[in-house]
Amino acid sequence: MLCSDFENQLTDYLDGVVDPETNRQMAEHSLRCPVCHEILSAVRSTLEACRVAPVPTPSRELEARILQRTVPESAMSCADFEDFLTDYLDGFLPAHLYHRWERHAALCDRCTELPGEVVRAIGACYSYISEEQPVPFGLNERILQATLGTVVPHEVKAPWTSRAASWLRLWLDPIVSPQLASVATMLLVSILVLTNTVSADGSISGVYNAGVQLAERTSGQSNSEVQQVTDDLKQLVEPEEQKPAAPAAPAKETTDQQKEQKPNTKSGSTRKNR
Amino acid sequence: MGAIKALAVSEGAELVRRCRAGDGAAWEEIVQNYSRRIYNLAYRFTSRSDTAEDLTQEVFVRVYRSLDQYDPKQGDLQNWLMRLARNLIIDDYRKRQRTPHDNHADDLADHSYHLHSRSNTVQQEMERRELGAQVQAGIDKLSPDLRTCVILRDIEELSYQEIVDLLRIPEGTVKSRINRGRIELAKILRRMKVVAMGES
Repeated sequence: MLCSDFENQLTDYLDGVVDPETNRQMAEHSLRCPVCHEILSAVRSTLEACRVAPVPTPSRELEARILQRTVPESAMSCADFEDFLTDYLDGFLPAHLYHRWERHAALCDRCTELPGEVVRAIGACYSYISEEQPVPFGLNERILQATLGTVVPHEVKAPWTSRAASWLRLWLDPIVSPQLASVATMLLVSILVLTNTVSADGSISGVYNAGVQLAERTSGQSNSEVQQVTDDLKQLVEPEEQKPAAPAAPAKETTDQQKEQKPNTKSGSTRKNR
Repeated sequence: MGAIKALAVSEGAELVRRCRAGDGAAWEEIVQNYSRRIYNLAYRFTSRSDTAEDLTQEVFVRVYRSLDQYDPKQGDLQNWLMRLARNLIIDDYRKRQRTPHDNHADDLADHSYHLHSRSNTVQQEMERRELGAQVQAGIDKLSPDLRTCVILRDIEELSYQEIVDLLRIPEGTVKSRINRGRIELAKILRRMKVVAMGES
């Protein structure tokens, strides 16, 4: 194969569209001829470089320009662009307007800088907020003079009645606050119920006395119950043969117990009744 | 957060109660706490320090006379006081718009700015003063309606609804004026070649 034939069929060879015989001849020639071998390698590398080369993304203006030329009725006027600017910055612009607005921003030379300038103006206002001027010298005194009639406000004191009323209100306010009203009602109801049901004479001290008596009764009752249980246990533990002699001791204990219980006859009778 | 707010309300209510009872010290505390904020608000509308001072004094006189109307249930003292101040300052501003001879920010250049220095360098301090003066000058050039809305929204940081309630105009109008005002301000600052801090 001649070098000129090799070059003529190189593209077909690389695309794999030559017949098997030509393919074999091309391969043989590329191995034998160093010049054609180099050409083949160079073309292969170039094709590979083209394949992996990054595709440049079109600018936003391109899409906007195409749409402006093809669908001119979808373009936004400068006046509309300005009207929707704050909505755009606040993020309240509907989708269909949003894209038209952005296209206009990209294409219109007069408007393209405006959004940035507005943002900077708002930023300037915000930085101006923190730059408060101090109160001019003597202004507070002028205000005090105009309202109180003096520049020494500590000399102006409320009358003692007002101060007392204010002091009282300060203490009463938390008490009469609505949050504590339910608690106060519950306390009142509890006191009323207790004095009417527990107290003999309907007073709070009556409730206290009834409580003390109940505590005394309960205490006496529990003492006698403990004694009874102890006796029962002793009887169970003692052997059968000692049983005849047993009555003497319990009798003594019973006497002691009776002696102890004498002041509490009331609680004894309570237990019997039970 | 709720507890802090409740505390602020109760503290404000207590101060007002003491004022009503005739306690001069309580009134002095209110004046000291709020005179700076009200003076600055008045200055942003008037651009004149002497007018802003007179207006601040007038606001406090009106507040002093209206203390009986303060109801802690309607919000804390600061909200009530600033609402009253805004109403009075905007009313005054509208009145002055009808009398154009008193409508010039003629002492703007002469006014000495006492801006807070958060930097150590003299250069930054000067830039800050310059920016403050330029923003105020730009705001002064807006028409009264746009100026009011821009001040309330971008400097006083009120919500749209608060501006609607204050100016008693429809929300659409408020939004439109804010939008137009911002665009006008941006164009004015561009003509003045104002560069925001940190961009230079």
